[in-house]
Amino acid sequence: MKKLILTLVFAILLSNLTFAQPYIPTLERYCTDRTNTLTKSEIANINRILQQFEDSTSTQIAVLFEYTIDNYPIESFAYQVAKQNNIGQKGKNNGILFVILKKDRKMRIEVGYGLEGALPDALASSIIRNDVKPHFKNLNFYDGVMAGITSIIAATKGEYKQDKSRSKNEDGFPWGTILFIIFFIIFFMGKGGRGNGLGMLWLGSALSNGSGGRSSGFGDSDFGGFSGGGGSFGGGGASGSW
Amino acid sequence: MKNKGLLIGLGIVVILIFSVVSWAVSTYNGIVSLDESVATAWSQVENQYQRRADLIPNLVNTVKGVANFEKETYTAVAEARSKVNEIKLTPQMLSNPQTFKQFQSAQDNLGSALSRLLVTVEKYPELKANENFLQLQTQLEGTENRISVERMNFNEIVRQFNTTIRKFPGSLVAGFGGFSEKQYFEAAAGSEKVPEVKF
Repeated sequence: MKKLILTLVFAILLSNLTFAQPYIPTLERYCTDRTNTLTKSEIANINRILQQFEDSTSTQIAVLFEYTIDNYPIESFAYQVAKQNNIGQKGKNNGILFVILKKDRKMRIEVGYGLEGALPDALASSIIRNDVKPHFKNLNFYDGVMAGITSIIAATKGEYKQDKSRSKNEDGFPWGTILFIIFFIIFFMGKGGRGNGLGMLWLGSALSNGSGGRSSGFGDSDFGGFSGGGGSFGGGGASGSW
Repeated sequence: MKNKGLLIGLGIVVILIFSVVSWAVSTYNGIVSLDESVATAWSQVENQYQRRADLIPNLVNTVKGVANFEKETYTAVAEARSKVNEIKLTPQMLSNPQTFKQFQSAQDNLGSALSRLLVTVEKYPELKANENFLQLQTQLEGTENRISVERMNFNEIVRQFNTTIRKFPGSLVAGFGGFSEKQYFEAAAGSEKVPEVKF
């Protein structure tokens, strides 16, 4: 009887462990801080570095700060976040996700299929242990992340080249944008002089959105708009704690 | 007048037959390409299992040198490994529940023997300072994680395949083409989690 109860309790515990699936966030920036750990300018700086890196190499690196995922394994969490956000380019599979769980004091570098050669598990583990961990222990999260990113960039920068000039997110001709522009031209030509200023402004914003996919509005110098390229992951990378 | 009606009727029958045949062909081709995806996913699973098996001799040798008296634990690993090598599962055998179960239980045994070994050697601080051992440990962790990812992908594709060949109109084509359901990996107790190999 006792054994039965124990088994039952164990089964319930186990099923809880298995089913308590954490929320999988959608990444809209290269650096997503859901814990308010970094300052705005620190985030902006990371975004700028990672965007420049993608612009020159097409390799996508994303950083995610999360508070806790309870007892859920960080390996599954990181894999699911990376997969759902399509980090990396399609065909190259050159995406990397750096997850930091602040309360759980755990981190993981998840490496896309295409970068497992440039950044093998042993190297990822060494980056975590030697470059990032000492800073995290002193609660210097920004320095730790920067050290991690710097090492990741150093390891992966020779692996891929950016072969699309600027329009990295578009697969094909931007018909949508063109139709939009034609619509506006017809619309405002028909209306004559009225509302022309506003129309031009909208047109301008539509154009800038279409060309880089990064401008998010009027006069907002918001760097680091992230959108996944469709890379896939196979569970490569390493985890660590501090 | 009568001829015209016959002609129309014949036309309808021809169109019907044509659309049924082309539906059957496209369904069949769909199943075939799903079958191919299952085989691809399977080879990924096998690759990762093979990678794990390849890491073992090196690991056992490293542990042997330092923790010589844990003989029982590392011979258990070696035995589990040789059992794993005996069972080869080709994609054609994926519909056979018995061989599939054998394959899975052999691999799971190896996994648990390995994690037992890694827990036992925790007692040896010399190993924790051994760079070779640390590297092997990272590689092993990575492989376990890749195995679970590939198993998940495999299950996902098999689920698609099985649904397609079991749903009603598709099942007719599948029966005709001789396709049968494929096996899934079952999550053995605790295998959802990467085995504890922390130090």
